[in-house]
Amino acid sequence: MKSWIDRRSLSFLAFSACMGFALPSFASPSAAQEGEKKEEAKADDKKKEEKKDEWFAVLNGDVFTGTGAVLRGATVLSKNGVIEAVGHEVEVPTEAKTLDATGLRVYPGLVAINSAGLFGATGGDFADSVDPYNQRMTLALASGITTAGQSNVALKLKRRDIKGVVLRERYLATLSFTNSNPQGKREMFERFDRAARYLRDYRDWEEKKRDNKDLKEPAASGVDSTVRSILEGRVLARFNASNREDLLEIARLAQRFGFRPVIDGCIEGWTVADELGRAGAYAVITPRDRRDKEEQLVRDGGSSIENAAILHRSGVQVCVIPSTTGVDLGGIAGRDILHLPIEAGFAVRGGLTDQAALEAITIVPARLLGVSHRVGSLEKGKDCDLIVLDGDVMHYQSLVQFTVVEGKLVYDKSQELFYAHIRPRPSTQLAPEERKDKGEAEETPKEGSEAKPEEAPKEGDGEKPADPPKDPPKDG
Amino acid sequence: MVSKLSIVAVGLSLGACAAPHKQGEPRDAELGAIQPLAEGEQGFALRCGKVFTLNDADDVFSPGLVVVRGSKVDYAGPVIALPAGYELVDAPELWATPGLIDLHSHIQTGGWGDINDMVLAMNPEYRTSPTIVPANRDIQRACSAGVTTLFGIPGSGTNNSGFGVLYKTRCSGSYEGCVLADPGGMKVAQAYNPERRGDLGATRTGMAWTIEDALQRAQAANAAGRDDKVLANLQKVVTGELPVLIHTAGSDAVHTTIEMWGERYPDTRPVLSHGCFDGWKVAPYAARIGIPVNLGPRTFDWRQSEGEWVGTPERYAKAGANLITVNTDAPVMPQEELFLQSTMGARYGADSYLMLKACTVNPAKSFGIDDKVGSLQPGRHADIVLWHGDPLDPRASVESVWIEGKLEYDRVRDRQRF
Amino acid sequence: MTILTTLLALAPVLTGPVDPSGGLVAIKVGRAETVSHGPIDHAVILVDNGKIVEIGADLPVARGIPVIDRPEWVVMPGLVSCYTRLGVESRAGQEFNPEVSPTPELNPRHPDYKEVLEAGVTTLGLYPPGTGVPGHASALRPKGKTVADMVVDEDAYLKVYFRANSASKKLVRDAWTKVDEYDDKVKKAKEKWDKDNKSKGSDKKEGEAKPDDKKDDKKTFVPPEPDPKVKPFVQVRDGELGMLVSITQSADWAHWLDAIGERKFDYALRVVMTREIDMYEVTEEIGKRGLRMVMEPQITLVPGTMRQRNLAMEFAKAGAKIAFKPRNDTVQDHVAWRRHVGEIVGAGLEREAALRGLTLEPAGVLGLDKQLGSLDKGKTANLLFLSGDPLEPTTNVEAVMLDGEFVFGEVKE
Repeated sequence: MKSWIDRRSLSFLAFSACMGFALPSFASPSAAQEGEKKEEAKADDKKKEEKKDEWFAVLNGDVFTGTGAVLRGATVLSKNGVIEAVGHEVEVPTEAKTLDATGLRVYPGLVAINSAGLFGATGGDFADSVDPYNQRMTLALASGITTAGQSNVALKLKRRDIKGVVLRERYLATLSFTNSNPQGKREMFERFDRAARYLRDYRDWEEKKRDNKDLKEPAASGVDSTVRSILEGRVLARFNASNREDLLEIARLAQRFGFRPVIDGCIEGWTVADELGRAGAYAVITPRDRRDKEEQLVRDGGSSIENAAILHRSGVQVCVIPSTTGVDLGGIAGRDILHLPIEAGFAVRGGLTDQAALEAITIVPARLLGVSHRVGSLEKGKDCDLIVLDGDVMHYQSLVQFTVVEGKLVYDKSQELFYAHIRPRPSTQLAPEERKDKGEAEETPKEGSEAKPEEAPKEGDGEKPADPPKDPPKDG
Repeated sequence: MVSKLSIVAVGLSLGACAAPHKQGEPRDAELGAIQPLAEGEQGFALRCGKVFTLNDADDVFSPGLVVVRGSKVDYAGPVIALPAGYELVDAPELWATPGLIDLHSHIQTGGWGDINDMVLAMNPEYRTSPTIVPANRDIQRACSAGVTTLFGIPGSGTNNSGFGVLYKTRCSGSYEGCVLADPGGMKVAQAYNPERRGDLGATRTGMAWTIEDALQRAQAANAAGRDDKVLANLQKVVTGELPVLIHTAGSDAVHTTIEMWGERYPDTRPVLSHGCFDGWKVAPYAARIGIPVNLGPRTFDWRQSEGEWVGTPERYAKAGANLITVNTDAPVMPQEELFLQSTMGARYGADSYLMLKACTVNPAKSFGIDDKVGSLQPGRHADIVLWHGDPLDPRASVESVWIEGKLEYDRVRDRQRF
Repeated sequence: MTILTTLLALAPVLTGPVDPSGGLVAIKVGRAETVSHGPIDHAVILVDNGKIVEIGADLPVARGIPVIDRPEWVVMPGLVSCYTRLGVESRAGQEFNPEVSPTPELNPRHPDYKEVLEAGVTTLGLYPPGTGVPGHASALRPKGKTVADMVVDEDAYLKVYFRANSASKKLVRDAWTKVDEYDDKVKKAKEKWDKDNKSKGSDKKEGEAKPDDKKDDKKTFVPPEPDPKVKPFVQVRDGELGMLVSITQSADWAHWLDAIGERKFDYALRVVMTREIDMYEVTEEIGKRGLRMVMEPQITLVPGTMRQRNLAMEFAKAGAKIAFKPRNDTVQDHVAWRRHVGEIVGAGLEREAALRGLTLEPAGVLGLDKQLGSLDKGKTANLLFLSGDPLEPTTNVEAVMLDGEFVFGEVKE
């Protein structure tokens, strides 16, 4: 075993050592997830023996898979809550429950990286305290959210069901690395340094003990277990940082030790986008965050509506979250978790593509929560969590018509109080027996007809402007 | 993603390629209305994918042409021949609307300061205009989001802290260059805030009396032909010379407001502002009296509903309310998000075109300044916004903003601010 | 006004000796709300020795039996307030104390008892306060000189305070684990006993399959006494003791089901009817189990909104049994209790369910529905005499009979 004296060589080797295992470890979370998936699959197999398969199919919708593909008039088939097939020529078993999405759009359920209050006044352990009847959870489902993070736990919004709510715990480790606390910053660096050295020594030992069985295992004492997990790729390091200097320091730390940082806030990220991109950073952004640039600064600074777009162009994976992560029923609309796609729309306003904006509220937060093997896009083998809307998910007049979680219909706009009266679905889209019940649909024919031009095809993905206000009446 | 705005100077007739759109046939008076520019006169034309005139006929021209001469709109209609001398902005993918108007805004000071005296309940002798910080950052950001006219007013901490100022969000403006009308109107806080202060009266009944007492004093002064320094502007309010914006909310206070101002002082020109919480329950009364309603920053009600999401603009519209407008109460909502108030109104049930009116021509009509702003018609101020699509869509950014014919914001020149 | 009536026909039902002075009395009223089998017009109730010995329409009464004849009266069973802390100081712990009884707190001279008795409440269920498992409730009659006079049953039900959280779920799971452990202990003791007996060689013929054979008392297996903290749960499991589980929302119910798993035992639910409550989410689930639910006669709101719900009606329709308790645990609300329930009937609850909710169902919560709570032969003569319909706000209490004795009202033969 070598002893390291020269600091330069030390850091160089520490770096290369990290690169050696840390870079492949980018993929390791998904490898770990793969393992989990298999276990679950096994559990599923057991279940199958016990009870009949539950089939559910969403038929004939325009399916936005979230991966970039759009399948017009396609079918999503779920078997026991897991997507069995997405496509055009899907054979649907006769016993399957079906949902007709003709003329509607199908998207993956949205993922909110942070949330508050959706799972009730929980006393810590979500599995034992989740409130699956909570109105805020229902409202969130009605807004398209099917997975959310809270207190560093990834949770499924399982309405009326307390089983299987917790998807993953503690995948993100929050760290502080800021110039406003130089002492703490130095200590954090040392923790990374120590953990990196330990891991390198450990690998060294593993290699050499084949020849020399008496070689002592390097001591793990004094090695920060969180930092070690980060370097091993088992958890993601999360920082809350918005100052340019802090962002730069985090980018350097990440590059030096070979991990991908998750940065919350990231308000001045657009001024150092290249560095963040090179560090493989993720940014959790509220596009409408406002911060004025300091007057005396010559360089760029402060907030920019283009932040998400600029970061994305530099290779940063962007996740969008509204400024209010709870449900705000106080009367001010458009700023809380119920308006997650509206917030993503502001990223588009700043130049982010529609596809990246969709990813920013689906697959990217799913990755950050460590659950992208289960949610975040419509793909075979993933949970059948999807939403059906009457238009583009980011259009302001699109409302969620149906929400499906793990192959079960948990929200139907026309059947619940909240939004049923707003732009009722044209009766042709309703089954005859449903048409009978729907008092609202008959009460407001005027609205229905007014709404029609607005519901005219909202143009395809990536295309903007989406939907013109209806043409005004002519001459009286 | 978005096409760059192309500016082309054209000196030739475009008649050959300009086909008037069927939906907006030009009226006879407009045909050939575009005069060549006189010597030394400035002018330009915008050829856009869509032009929302917000005129009484609700004309929308797609494509459409807006011609600006000096500081005024000279023409808004189908694309027709353009005389020589005009600079043409060719923006086939962009939509043009009049600049947006917010009748309930406090950003004139660049922050929260200077909005209420908090000594007396009524200060009808005060004016907001001395507190304007021209072209402050909030104003600049507002401008870059298409907001061009604001009614900058005192807060609602007291029943009345004076008279607000109507001003333009010019980014380069001096005070004189900004002001549209000073005083532009009075601000009154009827209830749901001023009564919290024990020292200035604690009850809504007290609030109502304090306000009414002042109105009666002003009426008495008018009757006596008295020139009262303190009451001078209030005297104009009771005769209807100046409009009044009334902070009121909840079905109780909204009712009181309509009853007091709409019925007992019919000469006044009240605009009911906020109208939120369960104020929508008295929307039919507001509609019957015909009082304009200025909704926001809350645009929905939940707690007083029966479990359905009540979109406030939708309820007032359904009741037949006259002149629905929206506000931000900035900085309660950021001033640049005025359009979003309309967006949310449309999301939760109101017609999207009505919501566009609610932040353009309707506020102008509510305050009697529609002869100057709020629509794209000949003779109106050339306050024009070019959007990358539907102004109510958060994804559609603003490309350019002209105020009185001057380019105050340009995305390429100034970088995207919002 | 009351006359000794002589009728020709002998009541064939009277089996005991007739003793006019020794308690046997016939009461004739305009109407009897039996609760168990509908109303009876022109009802005659024969009471003897504290019990109802017969009830029917226009029953013939034998000569010599004193008759109280009040055709303008309506009689119903005495009200049963099964979940109360009337007359005792509040004291709440957060412990696991299933063995605790609130009886020692009783002060028989407390004036509240007399007042509620005069309002027609003839049975009270006094519960132990606190969270967790604070103890078991006692059934009382609101009259007596001593505590012993008042107690009807010291083991009415075990109170469990359950909320959706880890602590509550652990408490419940642990309690049942302890029952399992006790069962193991019994099993082992039994095995040992069997082995011991075998080794003695005296009872070889009986074999292991007949452990309960009581041929010889000395040889009968006596299971070890459970720990006092475990015993109430064993009793619940064996159906000897009821259980009342207090919850406040649908989520509590879902987690309760999760906590008890596959175990089967009887319990009732105490649903705290806060102004806003979401219990309508699980109406079907609870209804199909036919559970008893102790709740206030209260119209509630969908949380966060002004939408009203009549949960008592919804649950009754779904199959649950509603046991009402007064809105607040005060004398005034015991007095207003019938009126409050009347309001719920006005809002849609069936009258029959409402009357049961004041009497038979709360008696069931106390495990006393075989003894009282309805006007049936053999039940305790706790009777409430009213000036009219029990659910009308203008109806007054005319007289109250407790254990066959008039304790309130001017009653002359």
